Amino acid sequence: MASNHQPRKKRKGILGALALVAIAIGQYWNLAVVPPDAYQGEVQRIMYLHLPSILTAYLSYFLVFIGSGMYLWKREKRDDLLAHSAAELGVLFTALTIIEGSIWGKPTWGVWWTWDARLTLTAVLLLIYTGYLMLRSLIEDENRAASAAAVVGIIGFLDIPLIHMSVYWWRTLHQPPSILRPDKAPWENVHPAMLTALVISFVGFLLLYFYLLSLRYRVGEMREEIKQRRLERGR
Amino acid sequence: MGPWGFVGLAYGIVWGVILIYWYCLKRRYRAAAEELARLDAEETSRKHG
Repeated sequence: MASNHQPRKKRKGILGALALVAIAIGQYWNLAVVPPDAYQGEVQRIMYLHLPSILTAYLSYFLVFIGSGMYLWKREKRDDLLAHSAAELGVLFTALTIIEGSIWGKPTWGVWWTWDARLTLTAVLLLIYTGYLMLRSLIEDENRAASAAAVVGIIGFLDIPLIHMSVYWWRTLHQPPSILRPDKAPWENVHPAMLTALVISFVGFLLLYFYLLSLRYRVGEMREEIKQRRLERGR
Repeated sequence: MGPWGFVGLAYGIVWGVILIYWYCLKRRYRAAAEELARLDAEETSRKHG
């Protein structure tokens, strides 16, 4: 069994090392290479963390959505495990996004927090998936917990299009999207140096995300194996 | 706090939290791997003993 896991362990190590290199390059680029924003000055550098964090959280919730849907359809444990692992990471990256946004908000808007539509919907997203994790620990029957969590995981994903569209549908303090706009390509909207910084930062976050996800998934797999073996022994 | 103070605070919190999460995850990984190895060893000794 140990020999089967060696290549996976090696792959995880390579992924972790790549993530570390990309993050180091990204941080140097974000803090030392890119010039400050003409209007916001140095504080705009928080964007190079803020945007990759929320995009990583969205990706995570997309995986929760897929894993939950697949679990309800096929009832395979590995799909539930993927959804559970991705939800934990989604909560981490959403919480970080809110913290970064709050720190960015204070010098630009004058407040740490405001009940703006986008901010509120992002806080709701965090609450939904924190609830998802709590639900799993509250229901004793594992299959029932997985099914109930899968329903929350699917419904919760509907909040993401609402968050994206909130700046168009309501009058918000939060700025409209700079990159993912329907009327302009990203390079028409953002200075190439800033776009490069964002891309490097996002690649670093993605590599880090998949490294952490593979580690978290493996922890879940091992716990499942331990539980099965203890059950077999108890028979 | 100046602009670099806000930038430092944001970068410090993000990488600090991620580092703590990674450390905790590694500990959970090690604990589970050790438990599995212990179960393996017990099964082997039962088979041969």
